[in-house]
Amino acid sequence: MNINNEYKVPSLFQRIFSVWSRHDRVYNSNFFSNAFPSFFEPVIFLIGIGIGLGKMIPKVGGVDYILFLATGLIVTSSMFSASYECTFGTFIRLEFDHVYDGMLGAPISTYNVIIGEIFFAGTKGVLFTFGVLAVTWISGIIRYPLSILSIAIGFISGIMFAAMAMYITSFVRSINHLNFYFTGLLSPMFFFSGIVFPIETLPKTLRYISEIIPLTHVVRLARAFCVPGLLNAWLILDFIYCIGFIALFGWLAVKRMKKRMIV
Amino acid sequence: MSEIAIYVKNLNKSYNGIKAVDNLDFHVNKQECFGFLGPNGAGKTTTMKILYGKSLKDHNQDTVINIFGLNPETDSLRIKAFSGVIPQQDNLDSDLNVTDNLLVYSRFYGIPKKEAKKRIDELLHFMELQEKAKMKIRELSGGMQRRLTIARALINKPKLLILDEPSTGLDPQVRHLIWNKLRELKESGVTILITTHYMEEAFNLCDRIIIMDKGKKMIEGNPRDLLSSNMEKFVIEIYGACKNQNGCTDYFEKNKIKYEFHNETLFAFSDNIDSLSRFGETLNGFDYHVRHSNLEDVFLRVTGRSLNEYQ
Repeated sequence: MNINNEYKVPSLFQRIFSVWSRHDRVYNSNFFSNAFPSFFEPVIFLIGIGIGLGKMIPKVGGVDYILFLATGLIVTSSMFSASYECTFGTFIRLEFDHVYDGMLGAPISTYNVIIGEIFFAGTKGVLFTFGVLAVTWISGIIRYPLSILSIAIGFISGIMFAAMAMYITSFVRSINHLNFYFTGLLSPMFFFSGIVFPIETLPKTLRYISEIIPLTHVVRLARAFCVPGLLNAWLILDFIYCIGFIALFGWLAVKRMKKRMIV
Repeated sequence: MSEIAIYVKNLNKSYNGIKAVDNLDFHVNKQECFGFLGPNGAGKTTTMKILYGKSLKDHNQDTVINIFGLNPETDSLRIKAFSGVIPQQDNLDSDLNVTDNLLVYSRFYGIPKKEAKKRIDELLHFMELQEKAKMKIRELSGGMQRRLTIARALINKPKLLILDEPSTGLDPQVRHLIWNKLRELKESGVTILITTHYMEEAFNLCDRIIIMDKGKKMIEGNPRDLLSSNMEKFVIEIYGACKNQNGCTDYFEKNKIKYEFHNETLFAFSDNIDSLSRFGETLNGFDYHVRHSNLEDVFLRVTGRSLNEYQ
């Protein structure tokens, strides 16, 4: 075995992409069992609540309730899949499977590992947003052609929730503690972000809280692309919120996770 | 004569106020196999991790670490690009098959797919895993997984190989295979760093070793030299028979033979095998064992029990 005299560190893009493609490969090896819950949960919710409850509810914000609910649920699948990926998934890779130890033996930095992983969660966000969107297209709930652009919002929300999940996971010492995150933070967020009912109906204080939480902003953006006449210049504020959120939590996640990986 | 590959001076590392590595100095020559020995918690793994940037050393102005001219704190990616790391615990992707594991890993080095496939074929042959190319990781035995982890670390044709207890928990056949492969790699010019608990492994593979205890270097040198300069040639182990009997110690003291008790076993050391066997013959055959001293005796002497010395 002759020794290679040229040892090059791959480019930043190659490094991040190699982490991404590792996750892609592993994920696809069990695609159906992996994809099933993230895809079916919103669809079942849509059928159960949308069709059942929808009959009893008049129009919401000028549109049919089922359309209102469907446009909210598009990004929910992205939120949950990214959150699972970067809480339980990350924790298992970190503490049980030692996947990062393997990567960090190769010319990959902690930064590359974390960014690659967050991008992978964003990609899953795209996949599930598309999945749910396809169901709403086929069933005729969403008919607006611009709705295709909400896939991009699925990507953004995947990245946002991945970055936040990773930051949270960096504090977690026992995997059971992650349940607090899901039950204590994500589930309430789901109900106060304008998915099931418009936040305009909330009391004033709760409305402010609702504007602080990230899900509200991606739901508003996704809905604007799916319902004719909702696009307006104010949405730029939601967009700025998302970018700021990604920058803040991405930075925090990198900073904290690095301490977890390099001791 | 030989060029220096790794130079470490005054290395310190503490975890929560406890010193894991304490003022460690060593150097490794190119194409040398260098071994770290020591009990659990001696700081061997920590030292290795610092060398490729997986752990951070304590800040200390006098510390010098030089790995082929690079500093792991600022150049860990460049160091890892020419190294192969075999961690203590295997971390293969259990959902993927053998080939895919290597393929995924080759991407971390930016190796083009075509080249990687060729390289994977070579490596599976080299580690005698060619029959297992399509098997899932969980279908492999522990020894196969270990060989695959080594193969994975060789994907970039490293010039520095860092192995953390490569053969712990493996059967003798696999261990010998691994040793042969490591010797072959060394012949081809690879510099090897290895931690081990197996004295036999160090004796077989290493040109030089250090024995560490509580983060400190206790002793350093060629395994054979260490053995001859620190130990008598022969050892008698006497099990139980000497427990409550002063006759044993009287004999050794009279003949100025070093001895020590460990639990209920007496160890006596001498360059003269006859003086040991003569005593052994007075005992029941199953109660004693006369043998050549080995590196393990050196190890226990420097890290372990204090010796009862006559003279």
